[in-house]
Order: sequence, then C-alpha cells, then structure tokens
Amino acid sequence: AACDDGEVVIKLSHVTNTDRHPKGIAASLLEQRVNDEMNGKACMEVFPNSTLYNDDQVLEALLQGDVQMAAPSLSKFEQFTKQFRIFDLPFMFKDINAVDEFQNSDTGVAMKESMTRRGLLGLAFWHNGMKQMSANKPLNVPSDANGLKFRVQNSDVLKAQMAAMGASPQPMAFSEVYGALQTGVVDGQENTWSNIYGQKFFEVQDGTTETNHGVLDYMLVTSTDWWDSLDADVRDQLATIVQEVTDTRNAESSKVNAEAKQAIIDAGGVVRELDDAQREAWVTAMKPVWEEFTADVGQENIDEAQAINAKH
Amino acid sequence: MSHGVQSHSALGRIVNELEETAIAIILGLMTLITFINVVLRYGFNTGIIWGLEAVTFLFAWLVLFGMSYAVKVTAHLGVDAVVNLFSLPKRRVLALVAAVICVVYGALLMKGAWDYWAPFAGLDATTGRWFPTGFADSRDQAWYETVDIPMPDWLRFIEPIMNEGETYGKLPRFIPYFMLPFGMALLLFRFIQAGVRVFTGQATALIVSHEAEDDIEAVKHMNAES
Amino acid sequence: MEVLILFTMIVGLMLLGVPIAVSLGFSSIVFLLVLSDSSLASIAQTFFQAMAGHYTLLAIPFFVLASSFMSTGGVAKRIIRFSIALVGHFPGGLAIAGVFACMLFAALSGSSPATVVAIGSIVIAGMRETGYTKEFAAGVIANAGTLGILIPPSIVMVVYASATDVSVGRMFLAGVIPGLMAGTMLMLTIYIMARVKKLPQGEWRGWGEVFASGREAGWGLMLIVIILGGIYGGIFTPTEAAAVAAVYAFFIAAFVYRDMGPLHVEGEGRNLSLMRKPLALVTVFFHRDTRDTLFEAGKLTVTLMFIIANALILKHVLTDEQIPQQISAAMLSAGFGPIMFLVIVNVILLIGGQFMEPSGLLIIVAPLVFPIAIELGIDPIHLGIIMVVNMEIGMITPPVGLNLFVTSGVANMPMMNVVKAALPFTVVLFIFLLMVTYIPVISTWLPTLMMGPEIITR
Ligand code: NA
Ligand code: NA
Repeated sequence: AACDDGEVVIKLSHVTNTDRHPKGIAASLLEQRVNDEMNGKACMEVFPNSTLYNDDQVLEALLQGDVQMAAPSLSKFEQFTKQFRIFDLPFMFKDINAVDEFQNSDTGVAMKESMTRRGLLGLAFWHNGMKQMSANKPLNVPSDANGLKFRVQNSDVLKAQMAAMGASPQPMAFSEVYGALQTGVVDGQENTWSNIYGQKFFEVQDGTTETNHGVLDYMLVTSTDWWDSLDADVRDQLATIVQEVTDTRNAESSKVNAEAKQAIIDAGGVVRELDDAQREAWVTAMKPVWEEFTADVGQENIDEAQAINAKH
Repeated sequence: MSHGVQSHSALGRIVNELEETAIAIILGLMTLITFINVVLRYGFNTGIIWGLEAVTFLFAWLVLFGMSYAVKVTAHLGVDAVVNLFSLPKRRVLALVAAVICVVYGALLMKGAWDYWAPFAGLDATTGRWFPTGFADSRDQAWYETVDIPMPDWLRFIEPIMNEGETYGKLPRFIPYFMLPFGMALLLFRFIQAGVRVFTGQATALIVSHEAEDDIEAVKHMNAES
Repeated sequence: MEVLILFTMIVGLMLLGVPIAVSLGFSSIVFLLVLSDSSLASIAQTFFQAMAGHYTLLAIPFFVLASSFMSTGGVAKRIIRFSIALVGHFPGGLAIAGVFACMLFAALSGSSPATVVAIGSIVIAGMRETGYTKEFAAGVIANAGTLGILIPPSIVMVVYASATDVSVGRMFLAGVIPGLMAGTMLMLTIYIMARVKKLPQGEWRGWGEVFASGREAGWGLMLIVIILGGIYGGIFTPTEAAAVAAVYAFFIAAFVYRDMGPLHVEGEGRNLSLMRKPLALVTVFFHRDTRDTLFEAGKLTVTLMFIIANALILKHVLTDEQIPQQISAAMLSAGFGPIMFLVIVNVILLIGGQFMEPSGLLIIVAPLVFPIAIELGIDPIHLGIIMVVNMEIGMITPPVGLNLFVTSGVANMPMMNVVKAALPFTVVLFIFLLMVTYIPVISTWLPTLMMGPEIITR
C-alpha cells in the first residue's frame, strides 16, 4: 500500500509467504486492518519472503530504524536476553495451550518488556505450534536418532538438545534444507506440522514422529524508540489491533497444524505417534538439557511453566 | 602478476605484498574451513559448528578488504566502449568526473559504514542524512554477539571496557563488523588516489572492460601476428 | 517514473566510465536518500550482508578458485588433446574438438570468459596452424565459450538461485541438457560448414590415443563426477561442492599434473615426482604458485562481488520502493500472457546484457520478473535457464559483450572482426534461445526426473 503524506509509515519485514504460513497470514491480516482502520493516521507495508531482510538482519534494521516491526522466531531473542531459551528447552511445555497460558501470564508479559534496555519491545507472541521430528529412518525412541545429522535452527539449546539425543546438530540456511534432506547431506530436522507440510519436507523423509517436544513461536517486535515516538492515540489503536489480530490467529494455530498434519497423511506421508513408554524415553533423553540452561532461564520461570503444564 | 600501478618505493612494494597475501590467505581459509567441515560431517558425523558463520564473515572480509586493492590496480569492471570514442584530452575530463563520483560514493559509504558499526562498538553514529553533521547519542549495542563463533579467552580483557563487565558467550559482532568501516576507509583513500592519478595524467581510466584482462596478457603471445 | 530516472542514471554513469559497481551503488544511494526514510547505515548493512548473509553466493569464490587451479595446473591442454583424439578426424575436426573442449572445460568452470581464455588460447593457435582462418577459429570459440555458464557448475546459476531462492542443485541439473544441446548444435553447424567449405580434417589416431589422452584428462574431468556425484549423492551442498572442487583442483594441479607448485620444473624438463620431494606435501601450502593462484582467484571474486553487492543495494532500493509489485501489476493489467512476457524478458536481458556483467544484471532483473513469472505459471527453473541463455547471447553480441572482448584479446584481433566471425554461430545460439524459451521441458525434464517436481514454497 502506498502511504499518503502525514501517515505514520510502518514497515514490517518477515521471511515467509503472505497467504499460507501462520506468520505470513497474521502479518497480512495486521496490514489489512491497520490500512483499513487507521487510514489517514498510519499505513503498513509488509515485505514478505525475506525480500528486504532475513531474520538475523531484521533486528539490526529495527534498532537502526529502517523497519518498524518484525516477527522473528523466539530463538532470535536469546541474543537480547537468555530468558527466551525457555521456549527452546525440550518438553518444557505440554502443548500449545500451555505455551499460550505461559505467554499471557505475568511472566510472559514481563518477557515482552525484558529487552527494552536493548531497545526492543515485544508486542505479541504469535504461535506457529509444537515441533515434531522427522528423519530418513523411523524415529520411535531417541536411540533411533543416534548418529544422525539433524538440521537445527541457530540456538545453543537446540544444539544441546540434538547432542543429548546422540545426534549431530548441523546449522544450515533454511533455503538449503529441502535439498539437503533429499540428497542426505543431513538426515533429519525438527519443525512444526505447518512448516513440514509447507516446505514439503515430508516428501524427502521416511516419516515424521509426533513428539511435540518443543515450541516454534514468533514475537512481533518493535523498537522502543519508534514506539515511544508515536502519538498516544495512534499507539493505543495500533496496540489494540495487534492484540485482536494475535487473538484471532493464535486461536487458529492448533487447527492450522492439525490440517497440515492431515494434509501430510493425505499426500502419503508417514506420521508416527508415540505410546507412553516411547514418549517417556524421549523425555528422559532430552530433559537433562534443562540443567545446562537453568541459570539462563531462571528456576522460577521453569517452575511457573511446570505449574501451568499441570493444569493442562 | 597484476598490471596496475607498479609501486616504486620499498614501502609501496611491502604494502602490495601484504594486500595480495591477505587476499590469498582469506580465500584459502574460507576454502579450508568449508572443506574440513564437509570431511568432518560426512566422515565423522560431526563438524565445526562455527565454521559456516566464520566463512561467511571471511567472505565479507575478502570483498571489503579487496575492493580497495582492486581500485589501486585498476581492476574494477566498467564499460569503455563509449569513452573510447572520445579524444584523449576529453577522455581525461570524463575520467576526472568519474573519479569525483567514485570519491563521493566512497564518502557516503564511509559514513554509512561508520553509522552502522559504531553502535556495535559502543560508539556514537553520526547525525546528518548525506554527510556527517555531528554525533548522535547512539544506543550501545556492544553486547550484541555473533551466533556461533566462540569468544577466545585471550580477548576477555575487553569485557570490562565493552560489555559492562559481563562475559561474552560468543564473539561480539563489532569485531567481524569492523572490516566494514576499515574497508570503506581504504576504498575512499584509494578512490582519492586514483582521482589524483587521473588529474596528474598518470592514468586515463578507472576501469577495465572485462574480468579476464590479466589472463589475456598472459596468453596473448600465443596468437601474436608474426 | 522515478525508476526510469534511476536506470537512466545508472546507464549514464556506466557510459561515462564510472565502474559498473559504483554506477549501481551511487545511483541507488542517491535515489534512496532522496525518496525514502532509509539511512546510509542500512546501505552499509546491505553491503556487508551481500556476503555475510547470502550463503549461496559463497559458491562463487570457490568455483572461481577451482577454475584458477584448473587453468594454472594445465588441465586445459589435456582436455584439448583428449577432444582432438575423439572428434578431430571429422570434417572441421579441430573446430569441433574446440567446441567439445569448451563443453568439457565448462563442466569444470563456472564462468564463460575463463572457458574462452583456457581453451581459446590454445585451440585458436592450433586451428590457425592446421589451415583454418583466424576469424573462423575466433568465432567458434567465442560462441562455444559461452557454454561456461550453461553447463554446470555456473556462477550465473548460483546468482539466480540466490536471488530467487530456488535450489542451486536443481538449476545445475537443469543446465545439463540445454548445455549438451547447444554444444551439439554448434558442432553440427561446423560439420555442415566443413562439408560445404571443405575445411581441414584431422586424422584418426586410434583408440589408443583416445584412451591415453582420456586417462590424462580424466584427473581433471573427475571433477565433474565429484561435483555432481557429491551434490546428488548427499555428501555436500552445492556451495560446499564448490569448495571441495577447489581443494581437488589444487591437489590435481600440484601433485598429479605438477604444472604448478613445488614439483613443477620450469621449461621443458620433466616435473618432479612426489617420491623425490615428499616435503612438497607441506611446502605446497606456502609455495608462491599457491599464493598467486589464491590471490588471482580472490581478486576476481572481489571484482565480481563488488558488482553484486552494489546490485544488491539497488535491489534493496527497488524492494523498499515496492517497484517489483508495481511493474508486476502493470504487466498483468496490460494483459500480457506467458508468451508475451517471455519475449519481454528476452528483450530486457538482451539489452541489459550490453552494459552489465551477467551476475550483476541477473541479481537486478530476477527479483523484478520472478513474481510475475510465478503469477503466470512459468516454472522458476525454466525461467532461470532462459535467463542464462540470454546472458550467453548478450556476451557475444555487439556493441558490448564479455566474450567478444576476451576472444579479441586472446586471438589478438579487432573486436568487430570477432563479431563478424561469431555471427553465424550466434544465429545458431539465437535459434537455441527460442527453443529453450518455448519448450520448457528441455530445462525441466532432468531436474524433475532426478529431484521430483519443483516446489514453489513462496
Ligand atoms: Na560451467
Ligand atoms: Na552484448
């Protein structure tokens, strides 16, 4: 949307498509509502598909004032405060509802504001969903992953998690993953149903195991300098729209992932479910990773997450 | 091996040797790290986790450091078809105009590079849109670390200076990013030098017309008219 | 309207003799500072991230390096000997062998000028000795050399893949059949011309020579197997393949052919064997030849990447101002179908190819036309091959063409003579362009067969 004179320009840069990926859909909805309801006051331009910045560069650009909003995955914020490692720790949250409740608790709200001294302000958590494991051989128990090479996102926690499974973590540009899985440069990867379906990873894997072992979420962020510079009424209206878009899209996330999972099955992909004993084996193998990062994350935050799990 | 300006002074030759060797070493390191990582992954199921990030930084260093050298030896590519239609005196004027544009370009990028790098080093960016007009009060970003590259222990003495005494888990970004203002400063310097060379009549152009000019020099004799 | 001013400024500066990279960068910076809110710092970031943030482009220095070791290390002359042994006895044999040698070298090198220099310098001299005119020899090599970017590996394909996020491995596969086709068409043309004009014909030296020369050249040609086998066999990614190729080429050059490094003997003497000088395994890393080859490859990488980084600044400006969307909307609302669209792409690239170095041009044009192509249902891989073939033709058509320059330099003759000499073969490549443009299956069949149907995840 071309902005008119006098409107506050809000550039939002992200890395996915605009109409199929949960984050892209949320960004498009936000763009549409801002441009409809704040016409004359503000105007949003969304730059999808990494056309402007990738996730590593966008936070720098945000601090520089070259874009006003971004929505990187939560791992990217470990740079700003290590508390965010809690979302990468395996089996920290029972399901996406527990994640949601944690994010909306006082602790979660405080986390959004925890980076203001670094110049970033979290506006909302956007769900993708729980992560699953796929590989070029059946994964039923953790020892099946022994000696396999797994592509991971750049995160110390995720690297430690793969190491705990006896697998070898491999950092790799996202655009290379499909080819690398297909030819066998790497053996497996972890991701949400919607990404495994959207990127067609299931086509080049033996199957996907429903581990729900971790969470892949995003945070819509802005820079404190820019946010504080807004007129109060613009800021309030924007915050309200953000909150409503977040509520709408987050409520859909379970459905989106369930549909993606079904679509994988319909397309002939193999989905493996774990029985209780198998699941316990995965937890036993991965949970020791917590200890390594307790100091970063804070014991009280872990306790809070566990208390919320107990309710679900 | 290059056919640009040959330095006459001993210092000039040393600098040239250093520049060429640095370019060779950076490219060699990039190749070696990537190759070793392939061997480690395929052969031993492991890998240097920081290898990928280090190689991408070395790649940036190679170009940022090398581009000023390429100005010095007149290796940057350009279109000389039109320029060559003019007489030599007119060509000199055109080359002078081109040199001025290059210098302005270098100055703009120098400001941009400083503004980008300074906050990562806990310094202040400059104010002004086109040219620096003063210093802004930039938010300190010296805490910002690279993703994978470990912090070497011998460098920890910078922590009290740069990071409010907190330890760096990874190498801070201002270190690999330093090549940006450094490379741009060298580029600006070499563009000014090139402009002076054109002005004093030691050179007539800032460009070569294609990438293989050196190689052709080397094989030209094979098809010379006898 | 503003875009028109921007592009006029870029071209104007280039014609003035400003380096291509600076023309792109300077115009983009001025444009950005005047029209948008973005800062100079964001330009610097884009510049830095051109290298640090584009993992795919890393293949460029590595393929350049592999090619440098191959050229320095004497693989070209062994490939030529093998080609002559194989096809030299046909009418027009040496010219056909020249094309064949270009095809083989193209499979080792990612660049067209490198192919012309390596093969052309030897073959053109050889052709003249056996009774061809210098013009004919130059015309053949100028055209066949363009296969350097069509037959994988290819720097231009790497750039296209990086600009559009398609898979490099897929692009490489897509180039195989068009590359073989274009080479075959050139060889057939020579054969027919030779029958008509009674061009010289070599003698058949027997299978013994084929095998002997094949074994010699085999060390170099193994690189093809290593690159493609490694990528599709799951040993490494295409980027890593380039690094492995460079290391392999280094060892072949230093220890097998020994035409460079500590085992090389200047002049006619036989090169030393490793047995005689085992310390070479260590000293080779510090040998002057090694440093010089690394440096030359580094310098070439720098000049190419300096253009690409500035082209990425331009791309940043175009994206920031949402130009691709505007052009896309204009073209779609004008009701252009796929055929008209491809004609326009061909014309843009043929004109742009007059001014720009291919990789720089691609990184600007690809993001502009890619979204429209997807919208029109054109396969991204097919589009990529069309672009590559356009680049090839741009290199050999006047007024400006990379291969024309290089050939006129290598053959030591005026450029307009090369243009005239190249023309008959350029016509062949032009017919080939039409075939590739309107018969998508030429490009898409092999990658689909090997890697399954293309997925468009955007
Ligand atoms: Na090639
Ligand atoms: Na041309």
